[in-house]
Amino acid sequence: MTFSSALALAAGAVLVCAVSVLWLTSVRSVIRAVAIQGVALGTVALILGVDQRDPGLIAAASVVLVLKGAVIPALLSRSGGGDSRGRESRPLVNVPASLVAAAALIVVAFVTTRGVGRFVGTSAGSLVPVGVATMLIGFFVLVTRRRPVFQIVGLLMVDNGIALVAFLSTAGVPFLIELGVSLDIFLGVMMLMVLTRRLKVEFGDVDLDELQELRD
Amino acid sequence: MSGLLVATLVLGLAGCVAGAASPIGIRTPLSVALTLAACAGALAVGVAVLVRGRAVSFHDQHLLPLSGFNLRLDRFGALFVVVSAGVAVCALVYRLGYDGHGLSSRTASAVLPAFVTTLLFVPSASDVTTFLFFWELMALTSLLLVLADHRHRAEVPVAGQWYAVMTQFGAAAILVGLVLLATHAGSQSFAAIAASSLHMRPWVRSAAFVLVVIGFGSKAGAVPLHVWLPRAHSESSGPVSALMSAAMVNLGIYGIVRVGDGLLHGGPVWWWLMVMAIGALSALFGALHSATSRDLKRLLAYSTTDNMGLVLLAVGASGLFAVTGRHALALVALVAALLHVVFHAVFKGCLFLSASSIQQATGTRDLDSLGGLLRRMPVTGSVFLVGGLAMAALPVLCGFVSEWLLLQSMLHGLPSKDPAVAVAMPVGVGVLALTGGLAAFTFVKAAGIGLLGLPRTEAAARAREVGPAMTGGSGVLAALCVLLGVAPFLVLPAVIDAANGVLGRRGPDPLVRGWQVGLSGVHGVLAPGILAAVLCAAVGTVALVRAAVEPGPVRVAEAWGCGRELQTARMEYTATSFGEPLTRVFEDVLAPSHDVDISHVAESRYYVEAATVHTSTDDGFERRLYAPAQRALRRFGTAARSVPNGSVHRYLAFGLVALVLVLVLVA
Repeated sequence: MTFSSALALAAGAVLVCAVSVLWLTSVRSVIRAVAIQGVALGTVALILGVDQRDPGLIAAASVVLVLKGAVIPALLSRSGGGDSRGRESRPLVNVPASLVAAAALIVVAFVTTRGVGRFVGTSAGSLVPVGVATMLIGFFVLVTRRRPVFQIVGLLMVDNGIALVAFLSTAGVPFLIELGVSLDIFLGVMMLMVLTRRLKVEFGDVDLDELQELRD
Repeated sequence: MSGLLVATLVLGLAGCVAGAASPIGIRTPLSVALTLAACAGALAVGVAVLVRGRAVSFHDQHLLPLSGFNLRLDRFGALFVVVSAGVAVCALVYRLGYDGHGLSSRTASAVLPAFVTTLLFVPSASDVTTFLFFWELMALTSLLLVLADHRHRAEVPVAGQWYAVMTQFGAAAILVGLVLLATHAGSQSFAAIAASSLHMRPWVRSAAFVLVVIGFGSKAGAVPLHVWLPRAHSESSGPVSALMSAAMVNLGIYGIVRVGDGLLHGGPVWWWLMVMAIGALSALFGALHSATSRDLKRLLAYSTTDNMGLVLLAVGASGLFAVTGRHALALVALVAALLHVVFHAVFKGCLFLSASSIQQATGTRDLDSLGGLLRRMPVTGSVFLVGGLAMAALPVLCGFVSEWLLLQSMLHGLPSKDPAVAVAMPVGVGVLALTGGLAAFTFVKAAGIGLLGLPRTEAAARAREVGPAMTGGSGVLAALCVLLGVAPFLVLPAVIDAANGVLGRRGPDPLVRGWQVGLSGVHGVLAPGILAAVLCAAVGTVALVRAAVEPGPVRVAEAWGCGRELQTARMEYTATSFGEPLTRVFEDVLAPSHDVDISHVAESRYYVEAATVHTSTDDGFERRLYAPAQRALRRFGTAARSVPNGSVHRYLAFGLVALVLVLVLVA
């Protein structure tokens, strides 16, 4: 397997995981999907690091693999805001429509960011639209899913998409920056989980639109 | 010379720091002294540029990021700098004797020098960013000064709101217009824009010009963007209102001429017809409201709209002449415009300062509460009289010369083949004639009701002359009114040079120099000096003859007393009653409202216990244009409140939609 096809496979796996989050409804399987996405993202970084013989990039890849592939999903499924057995029974946009929207978002991403790939000029650069598409789908999850766990997963997907763009379009993200970004997202997830638990205690249910009552 | 320019800026900033940081005892004298020094520096640079004809420039790459800080003071700009500096010197001297209106607070002491400094530097900016930097700073500092007294009077915050909205609206229009030009020129320096503006596409040039006319027109108080002016000028303190009305509004004219003539080198006929129409409308509307207003400072503020309208009329006529190839007349009209800017600054500064003295002495600016002030405040009253006579454009005072020149240029433009010119010029002459009459009416009202007759209130009866700094500051401007009216040749060469400078050509000099002012090649010459001499001789002769013919004793009795010795202030005309016929004639425009309130005695309703009458006129543009716009905006705001309904998902959707839109737009 050549370098570029391996890279394309891993990046494609990131996008497939993103789309599958829209398709799945049970909290448990969604957490699994985002874990696989983290592993795929780490693999992309690893392939790039091995190809460029860049120890900093390999170290960053291992941080991503451990944090996004194992630690955060484990945290999510362990507590999950006390919600790990739940299902997203009535999303704001139903599953088939979500999949159509995802297709549209992917088209938008590819049409609008092809230029970036050409500008970068490497075979990795041509995969930048995959990262943008992942980010947009993550955003779409944030907009259309009610359960707090899905919000956390959507945020993780947005971050994964941005990280994928960063890995693909630059000549290697410095280890320190990747460490900082990963720490950020780790803390963000922790905070959201605490918030989710508090919400459940205060409101009983965990539909975010219940917060509407807090306005004014 | 560029060193002096920098020194001026540094002195102005030092005045600002002194106002902010020095202890209260020396705060006012120190900051005013430093600002006066800055004005002196600006005067020196401006006069040197006007005399030598060589521009002064200063460039620095570090003061403003990305664009650099670029100043270039040419003759056209120097004229405005000299006017601003002259007015500022008088206003600052006046300020030393002036108290009240929150002008002594730390904020106001720090902001006043900054405002004066921006007035001096707006005309010397030579690129878009530097210009907008000073322009915006001028708007902000003047807004803070208008708001200086916000704690004590409820009208002040309202005036501040109107001013803030209108000035920001204008600044936005200027920003878009200038950026449009800079983008199409490929550079933001004025020189580069001027060099490439003739090759730009017509729509770019027209769009930029219209935007710039809107923006600068709002600063010049042109109708319908004038609504801030009567409020802000009447609610601000004396020196600030003088600076705003005599120096700041000029910069609106500066901007329109600089962009229209200097950067775009003239344009199609409709541009200038538009400017003339705005000018004519402003002149008529301002003159009419000024004639019927009973608030002294509001009257003066509307008169500013009137005079700036006349200047715009002249600017438009100049552009129209230039387009139709009559360059000599174009120069005369532009000279008339600039001369009127100079003279208006002198007499309006004088009027606002003396009106503020009256307000300080009596505690009111309502004409119906004044009266008899000429006897109680002889110096201030005389200063106001001189300024008022100049405002009414009467001979041997300065307003007359510029309006005469404007009238001459428009009259000589009448024999024209171009239909636009043939229609516009007679209308312009008519507007000029009507506003001249209304200005005379306004003067008679303000001077007759306010200064003559019996005092109408206790406060007016107890009024005492103000201190020497205040009479001095306004008196210098009054002396200038007379001096420049008798000897306009003192400033005329400089004004002609400035006009030639911005038009960028050196045509045949159309104006006769020396004691006379006129148009070369056509009949019509004015010699104000000789006129003044003849007038003095005539008055002297009459006085001598009277003294010779009626040597007998003079019996002193009350005028129009019908033989009675008792006469009270309630028998006098008031400003409202004096303006009433005019209000009735122009009822459609002024829309006066009368409110008669009669209370009867308890025993019989045939006996009246008390009757009060309230009359007021309101601004037609405010009622018909701004009030519906405000209502629509409020409805929109109320409707828009339901869009952010508190749903996190909806807010996130806004983000997603915006992100996708940006991606699509950028791609």
